[in-house]
Amino acid sequence: MLAAVRSATLIGVDGQPVTVEVHVSSGLPAYQVVGLPDAAVRESRERVRAAVLSSGLEWPQRRITVNLAPGGVRKTGSGLELAVALGVLGANDALPAGVLDGVAVLGELGLDGSVRPVPGTLALVDALARAGVTAVVVPLANACEAELVGDVRVRAARTLGELRACLKGEEPWPDWDPPVAPPDDAAAVGMLDDEMVDLADVRGLPFARQALEVAASGGHHVLFCGPPGTGKTMLARRLGTILPPLSHPEALEVTRIHSAAGVPMSGQLVRRRPFRAPHHTASTAALVGGGSGRARPGEITLAHRGILFLDELGEFAPTALDALRQPLEERAVRISRQGVSLTFPAAFQLVACSNPCPCGSGGNECRCSDVQRERYRRRLSAPLLDRFDLRVRVDAPESDDEGGEPSAEVAARVAVAYERQHARYADWPWSQNAHVAAGAVPRLLPLGPDADAVWRELIADRQLTGRGATRIRRVARTLADLDDSAGITAAHLETAAGMRGDVP
Amino acid sequence: MSGPQGGSDRPVAPPLDPVEVAAATLASLPDMTHPRLRALVARGGGPVGALAGLERGLASAVLCEGTPPAELAARQSLARAWQMAARGDRIPRTLVSRGTRVYVAGRPGYPLDEDLPDRPEVLLAEGDRPDALDRPRVGVVGTRAATPNGLDDARELGAAMARAGVTVVSGLAIGIDGAVHEGALDAGGSVIGVVATGLDVVYPRRHRILFDRVRASGLVMSELAYGMQPRQYAFPVRNRIIAGLSQVAVVVEATLKGGARITAEHAIDYGRTVLAYPGSRRNPASAGTNQLIYDGATVVLDPDDVLVALGIAGTGARPDQRALPLGDQAAVLEACHGEPATLDQLASRTRLTPSSVVSAVRVLERDGWMERSRGLCWPR
Repeated sequence: MLAAVRSATLIGVDGQPVTVEVHVSSGLPAYQVVGLPDAAVRESRERVRAAVLSSGLEWPQRRITVNLAPGGVRKTGSGLELAVALGVLGANDALPAGVLDGVAVLGELGLDGSVRPVPGTLALVDALARAGVTAVVVPLANACEAELVGDVRVRAARTLGELRACLKGEEPWPDWDPPVAPPDDAAAVGMLDDEMVDLADVRGLPFARQALEVAASGGHHVLFCGPPGTGKTMLARRLGTILPPLSHPEALEVTRIHSAAGVPMSGQLVRRRPFRAPHHTASTAALVGGGSGRARPGEITLAHRGILFLDELGEFAPTALDALRQPLEERAVRISRQGVSLTFPAAFQLVACSNPCPCGSGGNECRCSDVQRERYRRRLSAPLLDRFDLRVRVDAPESDDEGGEPSAEVAARVAVAYERQHARYADWPWSQNAHVAAGAVPRLLPLGPDADAVWRELIADRQLTGRGATRIRRVARTLADLDDSAGITAAHLETAAGMRGDVP
Repeated sequence: MSGPQGGSDRPVAPPLDPVEVAAATLASLPDMTHPRLRALVARGGGPVGALAGLERGLASAVLCEGTPPAELAARQSLARAWQMAARGDRIPRTLVSRGTRVYVAGRPGYPLDEDLPDRPEVLLAEGDRPDALDRPRVGVVGTRAATPNGLDDARELGAAMARAGVTVVSGLAIGIDGAVHEGALDAGGSVIGVVATGLDVVYPRRHRILFDRVRASGLVMSELAYGMQPRQYAFPVRNRIIAGLSQVAVVVEATLKGGARITAEHAIDYGRTVLAYPGSRRNPASAGTNQLIYDGATVVLDPDDVLVALGIAGTGARPDQRALPLGDQAAVLEACHGEPATLDQLASRTRLTPSSVVSAVRVLERDGWMERSRGLCWPR
């Protein structure tokens, strides 16, 4: 009279294995779900009952108790319904004993007994595989995604009735088509089409282009500041075209997060780096995650291992921007909710654009008063500005400027610099210059013989904080990596300092 | 600025002069304007007579004459308000407690020319250095939306005037005004700030410290009553006092329309020499000064030019001490064309690599040829 079925639920963007225990006993007909279910799980009672009846199976007219273990974890969403239905069937002796040993079940039910897809399949299956499950039954639409995990056997389910027949060995398991989407589905990662954008489209701006290359190589956050229509956004949008593709573990990680967050998926690994460009009206919760009810990952988590692009930085709500500061340092964001504290990964690269002042010109033609400019500047807090290693003023290109190098050439140099950093930081918890811990900077980023004087000059500069000088040194290291230079030279330091302008 | 009992080192304030008290009282009446004050004093035969005359119908005579019937009632109630206000003893007490100086037209010590058409009848002043008025005075004005170069020019001019013993008169506003005051004060000079509010109001607020410095090294002056808050119309009216107090007027940066231009026009009306700093045609903050030069103002190429206009011998231009830029640096400086430029523009124009441009800019900055601000390189 007791059956247990393994399943999983989402906590943030991670899976949590859940055991669904169903107990059927004599007594007045009743149906109860215990074990911290949320509203969607409690609602599923009626769906499960209708699905069992529609599939032509018997619903026991007895006392049914469903327990979701572990009891301390809040269960969310409708992905447990199929497991509950199988549990009821098992407890009612409608399934052969032992067919569900080592098997986990995921799926939402329709009233007609059909099995519907669930968000976050990749994260759920991943967690189950780690917990020792050898096979999973997932909705047909999620089968491709579940297979990405690799070391677990995937079975697809179309309807509850068919699933029961398959489990009893009466019918063959349904097959599924391999994913049909193009290998790089642009829409899947919210990025512009590669064919359309290329760094070659950008005329002139040698300095800003170099800054972009440095940002791509070393993982530095970059702020472009300049009058409207000068190509800031154009440059920023092309950062993705010169970044190396995601490595396999990174791709799994990103796909898992996107799947859990409900980003439309093609059932394939996300290979291209995410590019998220939230509008400046985005709320704090939309940006960093959280929100009322179930805490959801924000844009910074969706941009994990990719780019978060904030156009018109000064127009964002100051509170939303300041909420970015902690995730920028820790590369993850902690969201605390009643009873639970979630950690969302947020290792994103921040690219931002801003106008220098309300009139936009910022230079000699600026018509803004000191007060207006000061007020505009104050919208961006100094601690946030400090986190941009690269702050570059961009103006319209000269009239005789020509298009520059195409993305492919720049990307090749970036890839080499990338590898150089990976080799250097093999024994450290980071892999890029921008993330070298401040304490390790003097040892890991030594100065060349001619750079000492410039470094001392930088340290003595009262405008520059100690942290600012360290940031300049990290950028200088990236410049050195791009030059294939063993030590940081004076020119590297000077260029790095020049790339950290006092904008806006 | 406490009263005579505030410090033992300060000379004991002389007993209040009845004419000064009467003039200050008149200036503090509600809705007082300088034409009204003039008419009152003229008809009353002096401030004391005018104050006494208020009770005898002088108020309504000045206020209501030639008034359209629609406004008559309002004017009459204002006249009654004047009579009420004139009876109090608030003004003499304020004058004593704040140590205010009162300059009344037609009396010795009044710092403006007596024949100026719209001179203030009364000027109130606070500050520790009334002798600032005894020196040659130069009015320096300019836009609030000044460029970094304009602010530098203003500071340099203030310092040069201070070294030559000239008092700088300006308006304590943001931008050029504040910079010229600072320049003069930093060089130990004396300054006069003419404000468009009551003397107890600090506007703009962020010049609080500057106000204190001006009081310590000169005077803050106003023709308005204590407690008057900033009003937009009051600033152009105030500017005529700056023009009137100055022997020459210098405009550092000005937009085509704006308070600095108004000051310059007053100065021309008063027959003062007007000088202006030339600037780029593309700089809106130089459009006003360039127009003044076009209209016949004297060009300032060096602060000494202002001393020459004052009739004080110049100190002689000092030779440029800066190391001459060479090679890349010369090319980069040249590529600015005298205008602020981005590093991108300099790299594009010189065809140098970004890192050589940055190195050149650093050297130029160190040698004083260039300044980096707002993300741009400003040639100097």
